[in-house]
Amino acid sequence: MTEPLPGNSSPRHPAVRTEDVWKIFEQEPEDVPAVRGVTLTIEPGEFVAMAGPSGSGKTTLLNLIGGLTRPTRGKVWVAGRDVTAMSNRELARLRLEHVGFVFQAYNLLPVLTALENAEFPLLLRGMDDAERAKRVGPLFERTGLEGLEDRRPGKLSGGQQQRVAVIRAVAGSPALVLADEPTANLDSVASEQLLEMMEELNHGLGTTFVFATHDPRVMEMSHRLIRLVDGAVASDEPREPHPPR
Amino acid sequence: MTARINLMIRLALRNLLRQVRRSILTALALIIGGALLMFSVSLGDGTHEDWIESAVRMGSGHIALQAPGFYQSRKIDDRLSEQARRAAEEALRSLEVARHVVNAVPRLTTDGLASSPNGARPAQIMGVDPVAEVGYSILDDKLAEGRYLESDDRLAAYVGTGLAEALQLRVGARLVVTAQDSDGEIAGQLVRVVGIFKSGVPEIDQAVIHIPLTTAGSWLGVGDDITTLAVLLDSSYRMSEVTSVLRRLLAGPIGDGELALLGWREAMPELDAAVKVDNLGNYMFQGVTFGIIALAIVNTILMAVLHRRREFGLLQAMGLSPRETGALVLIEGVILTALSGLVGIGLGIFVTWLFWRNGLDISFTWDADWSFSGVVLDPIIVPMFRLSRIAQGLVFILFIGAIASLYPAYRAARIDVAEAMKFDR
Repeated sequence: MTEPLPGNSSPRHPAVRTEDVWKIFEQEPEDVPAVRGVTLTIEPGEFVAMAGPSGSGKTTLLNLIGGLTRPTRGKVWVAGRDVTAMSNRELARLRLEHVGFVFQAYNLLPVLTALENAEFPLLLRGMDDAERAKRVGPLFERTGLEGLEDRRPGKLSGGQQQRVAVIRAVAGSPALVLADEPTANLDSVASEQLLEMMEELNHGLGTTFVFATHDPRVMEMSHRLIRLVDGAVASDEPREPHPPR
Repeated sequence: MTARINLMIRLALRNLLRQVRRSILTALALIIGGALLMFSVSLGDGTHEDWIESAVRMGSGHIALQAPGFYQSRKIDDRLSEQARRAAEEALRSLEVARHVVNAVPRLTTDGLASSPNGARPAQIMGVDPVAEVGYSILDDKLAEGRYLESDDRLAAYVGTGLAEALQLRVGARLVVTAQDSDGEIAGQLVRVVGIFKSGVPEIDQAVIHIPLTTAGSWLGVGDDITTLAVLLDSSYRMSEVTSVLRRLLAGPIGDGELALLGWREAMPELDAAVKVDNLGNYMFQGVTFGIIALAIVNTILMAVLHRRREFGLLQAMGLSPRETGALVLIEGVILTALSGLVGIGLGIFVTWLFWRNGLDISFTWDADWSFSGVVLDPIIVPMFRLSRIAQGLVFILFIGAIASLYPAYRAARIDVAEAMKFDR
């Protein structure tokens, strides 16, 4: 393992804290509660899986934590900051500096190369070439993507695209990486490579990872498994992680 | 901030290149619109300049320097004082003014009567300097019979065909011009027709008579005095600039009520109105054309925005603010518009240049002289290039592009990120 990069996780604050968070979607004929009164705390450096069947509220809870959607009621803090009280501009800044996202698919901007995609948040922060190279270069090397830097997403496999997305998510040393079904579109080999990579980054960089998943491999690797049923926490247990098979 | 803007411009350029066909189709509308805009504006300006040139050369110039009451009274009592004339001539010789002055001619003009054994008609009798007038007026070019006045002519007259027909005058015929002289008495002067002109403007052909300035001065008892110093500029667009300089230089005589500056707009209000109405028509046509183009741009960019919802969602998830996401769309629209506008205006300039060499001949659409407000319409329209029009065209196209991109930009900014990032979408 190469030298870890400094993380943004603050030991003084939980990486994530939610307090009685609700998200109700207004629909006809009746409103649909996607998240119902979720209260939880995720400490810095945790590797957490939120599992549950489709419609259980995993993605919505992830979006609430990342400030992509606002709760109907309740509070969310990320790295000690009250996400629910932030303006859109402040939320954008929070995501840029403290939160990395990995989505299920279509993670990369098609007009940028793999390297430019990975560097995107750093470019947005105005980081100079040398600093960006120092941060992203080793990650390409560490994740086996060396030599593919100049390829556009269309010329990368699904697994390679997801790895670029993970590099992008962690390159800025965020407090938190939110991954929504990152392995759902990958074959088993690519999934395992991706999970190994994320676990390594979790160990190496101390980055907090929170997954929304129903992939058993992700659950097996997690240190803590939160099960959601109908938008509420059904169970929340620490577990002994198993390395991917 | 600069890094962000650079990044957004890079993204915008690549996005435009990603959908080359769509970008080209959108650009084509703007290119054709820009070319049409440039061509029609140049043609309109050329037409108007031709109207104005024709009218001022047959009338009292782009700027007429007169005694304050002359425009209304048309009497030689309201003639320029010696002092005011000297000041005016000196001002015209000043460097600021002289570089834009093509010619300045003295005139002694009065309304009177022209009579022959066959009748009498009201006339506008103009005492002119024959040599200076040749370089100024276009009436000498409109010769139908005989010749124009010459420097050693004394009792000579150059009359229009309308007047010649009414009084049954031929070259060599005698004619008496009658008007009020400086003493208020009715004075007559016998002159002989040396030439007959046909300007094509009935009002001029039926009324204007040119006689030598010296003859007019002694006939009316005013010596070397004149009523008007008619100034011809290199372009009508210089008028406001030259007028303001003249007003400054001639502040004394103007303030003393000895001199007035009359621009062609005040001297020929009908022509001014015609130019304004024609411009308004052109602007309305261009407005409608670009309105349609703008709708096409809105449609194309909006389609692109809706197609790229996930991409905008991703950008916001990575930390781009909604405003910046909208700005990205706006930048794309403005870049596309600016490039298309440049190409369109370049194309318009090229097409205009093709017609600029020989003019656009529309004589097939008419079979007689057309005239209005003292202007003979020329069936060959020569477009006019003006740098300010190119700049205005570019700004206008950019404005249209920016306005047309606003709504798509707003939609991109207001995107629901969570919704956009749903996988099943």
